[in-house]
Amino acid sequence: MSLRPVIVGGGSAGMAAAIELAEQGVDCLLFDEASRPGGVVYRGPLRAGVDLGYLGARYSKALQTLHEDFAANAEHIDLRLNHRVVGGDTERLMVLDADEQLHEIDYSHLLLSAGCHERNVPFPGWTLPGVMLLGGLQLQIKSGAVKPLGSTLIAGTGPLLPLVACQLHAAGAKVAGVYEACAFNRIAKESLALLNKPQLFLDGLSMLAYMKLNGIAMHYGWGLVSASGEGELREVSLAPYGQDWKADMSRVRREPVDTLAVGYGFIPRTQLSQQLGLTHGFSDDGYLRAVCNVWQQSSQAHIHLAGDMGGIRGGEAAMLTGRIAAVSILQQRGVLDANQAIERRERYLGKLAAITRFRAGVERYTQRGAAQIELPQADTVICRCEHVTRSDIDLALEQGVQDMASLKMRTRVSMGDCQGRMCVGYCSDRLRASTGRADVGWLRPRFPIDPIPFSAFQHLATEA
Amino acid sequence: MQTLERVLDIQPLKAADITLQLNGQAVQAAEGETVLSVLNAVGLRRLAQNDHGQPAGAFCGMGVCHCCLVAIDGRPKRRACQTVVRHGMRVETEVNRVVEGAQS
Ligand SMILES: Cc1cc2nc3c(=O)[nH]c(=O)nc-3n(C[C@H](O)[C@@H](O)[C@H](O)COP(=O)(O)OP(=O)(O)OC[C@H]3O[C@@H](n4cnc5c(N)ncnc54)[C@H](O)[C@@H]3O)c2cc1C
Ligand code: FES
Repeated sequence: MSLRPVIVGGGSAGMAAAIELAEQGVDCLLFDEASRPGGVVYRGPLRAGVDLGYLGARYSKALQTLHEDFAANAEHIDLRLNHRVVGGDTERLMVLDADEQLHEIDYSHLLLSAGCHERNVPFPGWTLPGVMLLGGLQLQIKSGAVKPLGSTLIAGTGPLLPLVACQLHAAGAKVAGVYEACAFNRIAKESLALLNKPQLFLDGLSMLAYMKLNGIAMHYGWGLVSASGEGELREVSLAPYGQDWKADMSRVRREPVDTLAVGYGFIPRTQLSQQLGLTHGFSDDGYLRAVCNVWQQSSQAHIHLAGDMGGIRGGEAAMLTGRIAAVSILQQRGVLDANQAIERRERYLGKLAAITRFRAGVERYTQRGAAQIELPQADTVICRCEHVTRSDIDLALEQGVQDMASLKMRTRVSMGDCQGRMCVGYCSDRLRASTGRADVGWLRPRFPIDPIPFSAFQHLATEA
Repeated sequence: MQTLERVLDIQPLKAADITLQLNGQAVQAAEGETVLSVLNAVGLRRLAQNDHGQPAGAFCGMGVCHCCLVAIDGRPKRRACQTVVRHGMRVETEVNRVVEGAQS
């Protein structure tokens, strides 16, 4: 076959896949919209001369190893940075290059490893400058090498909260406390599942020890009520959460802070997988994701999925699924025979099993409480691009809207620049709660999945 | 001209080989950085004014929320978090032609 395998997304999953292909002597074409490979976990600092000590020794080592492995195989990897895939079908991709020109790229074997974005949970004041998503703030410390303004309060749920607290502190920023919405006993109940990855579990414990040592308070069973400030964030209100995360408004605490980082987990990017017409399903957390089999093959056997796109399991699992996808492509191309492919796959699957059990434990304790959707007030903006408020959504639901497509038509949610990436989680939660159904649809992507200038078509037109 | 001071860098810039114009003031930057890192380094957080007149700052930090829209070299609605700095780049915050058009 003449066409090289094409990989979309050079994060943990895409890089590992490219390395696996290269190790078997197979060249690939790898697109990433960022200016450096590595994805959200391993992109590293964007400017030269940054000493990564503040991110921890284990992390710096892992980052270095991945980039060294990747560099060692560079002759086989045609890496196109600053290239954004904006659409496609089952045979070709539409790619916007660094000069904003559009190209059509044919493929025979494709790996989608475009990762995820964060789940946005709206509450009064979430749109104030100074409020950021937790991973986004972490990217500023890791890749931007810049601290947030003033002191930072961290709220949400999951292991990323204490991690970012430690990284912020080590970077010299002030941390005003961590508010984990779930109660401590729920985490304790999962310790057996968490012990499936002893190292990660120990990392968790040493993070808590670091926080204790440095006087960063960890509040379990506490969560956000609102944020406020004139034009910029100045204060955050918090309250104890019940089992279903209902805030106890009789015990609200106000914290003066300049930065608030909110982390409630992730949602896979499905814009491309949907546009390519792949089969999708819903996760327990309610998000849509493309389905794949044990070879990471989607419903189209020549299109593979790896990393967060097939479901959120963290960086280590992303690398393993990337490797498995590459093994499958190698078998499809006749580079490996069936026995060789199965033998390799089983090796990677074995490592994946422990991570999967660990993640299942994390998912159980971070399961979002049903009362979370009651945080926004009537006038709280839900879709910021089109200025749709909670009362607009309430009204649409009262009028009998039962699925995402109708909600979009009725309220304009998702019709703006972000194409609904920031409101889809809330809208889906509300529709599922009001209809009692697990499947209320999801937002359909538009072409292009990212805005492109009109001039981008010039090049295509001259080619045609 | 007064140079804006970068007060929030975790470590000092090794080489500040680039100068940008941020709302008419000079600010130093290093090769590879995004416009957002520079804005964050000087502590400027009100970046955009959206079409509904609401102030917005960077939110997702990874190109998906479209809340960090600034004007770059005269082109409006460019994502600060997705734009790498270049020498002589002009960056303006809180510009919005839709809202300004409505006001005048
Ligand atoms: C902001 C953020 C911070 C996170 N921090 C951590 C953490 O500290 N630890 C942890 O274990 N997990 C973290 N996660 C979860 C994380 O996503 C891991 O599960 C894992 O790294 C996923 O790897 P991946 O290769 O699937 O995706 P990613 O690492 O996200 O890589 C996807 C790559 O695809 C590129 N891309 C996306 N769309 C396109 C397109 N259309 N065209 C071209 N390129 C595209 C992106 O630029 C990116 O480089 C974080 C997630 C987010 C969103
Ligand atoms: S901060 Fe979300 S797009 Fe830039």
